[in-house]
Amino acid sequence: MNSENILIKVEDIKAYIESGILELYVLGDLNHRERTEVENMLVKYPELKAELNLIEEALALYAEKTAIEAPGYMRDRIIGSIEKDIRDNSDNITGNETDDKKVISHKQFNFYKYAFAACLILLLVSTYLLYSLNGKLQQSNAQIASLQTEKQQFAKTVSFKNGELEVFQDASFKFLNLQGTGKVPNAKLTIAWSPVKRKVWIDLKSIQMPINDKSHQYQLWAIVKGKPIDLGVFDKTADTTKDMKEMKPIELADTFAVTLEPQGGSAVPTMDQMMVIGKF
Amino acid sequence: MSKKGKISLSEDELILALRNKDKIAMEALYDMYSASLFGVISRIIADSTIAEDVLQESFVKIWHSFSSYDAEKGRLFTWMVNIARNLSIDKTRSKDFKNNIKNQDIENNVTIIDEQNSSVYKPELMGVRELTEKLKPEQKLILDLIYFKGYTHVEASEELGIPLGTIKTRLRLAIIELRKYFN
Repeated sequence: MNSENILIKVEDIKAYIESGILELYVLGDLNHRERTEVENMLVKYPELKAELNLIEEALALYAEKTAIEAPGYMRDRIIGSIEKDIRDNSDNITGNETDDKKVISHKQFNFYKYAFAACLILLLVSTYLLYSLNGKLQQSNAQIASLQTEKQQFAKTVSFKNGELEVFQDASFKFLNLQGTGKVPNAKLTIAWSPVKRKVWIDLKSIQMPINDKSHQYQLWAIVKGKPIDLGVFDKTADTTKDMKEMKPIELADTFAVTLEPQGGSAVPTMDQMMVIGKF
Repeated sequence: MSKKGKISLSEDELILALRNKDKIAMEALYDMYSASLFGVISRIIADSTIAEDVLQESFVKIWHSFSSYDAEKGRLFTWMVNIARNLSIDKTRSKDFKNNIKNQDIENNVTIIDEQNSSVYKPELMGVRELTEKLKPEQKLILDLIYFKGYTHVEASEELGIPLGTIKTRLRLAIIELRKYFN
C-alpha cells in the first residue's frame, strides 16, 4: 500500500513536471495564484525543487552563452549611481530629521529676528518723525500766536492811530500847551481836549519833563470849579515816542495840571510837585 | 577583453554580501551578471543607448529591492533576469519607446543581434550557433519569444496561432535540449 502511494505520488509529480509549469514559473510567466501554488509544491516535494534547479541552471547558462558585454563605461556608471544612492540614503537616515527641525527653527528664528529689527527701525523712525513734527507744530503755533499778537497790536495801533487822527480831524478838539512852573520852569506838555466828546489826549512827543523813577509817575489833573479831578497817570521814559496817550474823559474843565505822584497816582494832587499847568 | 580585476563570488557569498549591502557585492553582481542581463535586454531593446539605461535601471532595482529576494523560491539569476526582462518590456510598451523605435520583427531582431555578436564577439560566444542548431526552429522561436522577448505563453500562442498546450510542450522541450547541451 505504501509503495502504491509512492508510485502514485511519483506519477503525479512527473505529470506536474511534464505540464511545463516549472518552466513558466522560472520565466515569470504565471499569475500570482499559480505562482503561490508552485511555491507550495516546491516546499513539499524536493524532486520539484531539483527539477526547477536544472531548468534555472539551463536558462542561466543559455543567457550566459548569449550574453553581450555592456560597454566598459557602464560598470563605473552603474556602480557609481548605486554608490551615490547609498550615500544619499545614509545622509537622509543619519541627519534628515534633526536637520529639518534645525532648518525650520533656524528659519523661524531668522524670521523673528528680522521682524524684530524691522519693528525697532519703524519705532525709531516714528519717534523721530513724531518729535520733528511736534517741534514744527509748536513752531507753527508760536508763529500763529505771534502773528495774532502782531495782528492785535496792529489792530490796536490802527484804532489808536484812528483816535489820534480824530484829534486832528475833529474841530471840537482844542490844544493847550501846559507850561512849566517854578519847580521845573522849562517843562512843557501839550494836551488836546474835546469837551463835546469828553476826550483828553496828551502828546507824549511834546513832553519836556524829567524822566520819572519807578516809584513815581506823572498824574494829569483837571481843575473843575477849583476842585482837582484825576485824569490818569503817565510816564516820561528815556526812549522817545511819537504817540499820543488818551487819558480819562472830562466834560468840563478850565485848568489842566500835571504833578509828580507816587506810583499809580494819588487821590489828591501834591501841590508842591506840580510840573506844568495851563488854562483854557 | 581580459577578465582581470573582475570579481566573482559564489552565489551564497554574493547573496550574503548583497544582504549586507557591501560595496563588493555591487561590483561582483555587475561583473558576474551584467553581460548575461545585457544580452537579454539587448534582444528586447535594439537601441543600445536605451538598452544601457535599462541595464542601469535593472541593477538599481536589484540593489534596492534585494530584501524581497527569497532564495527558497529560486536562483538569484532567475530573479534578476526577470527584473531586467520586465523593465525592458515596460520600456518597449512606453509611449516614448513606441514613438522612437520602429518595431522590428522579433525573430529578425534576435537573429540580427546574434549575428552581430558572432561577428564582433568572441570565442566564448561561438557556441551559440552550435547550440541553436541543436534546437528545432519551432523550439528556438518559442524560447526566444518567451525568454528574450518577454511574451507570455498566452501571447505566444496567439501570436503564432498555436494551442497553449503545444506552446508549453515546445518550451519545455527546448529547455530540455539546453539542459542536455550544457550537461
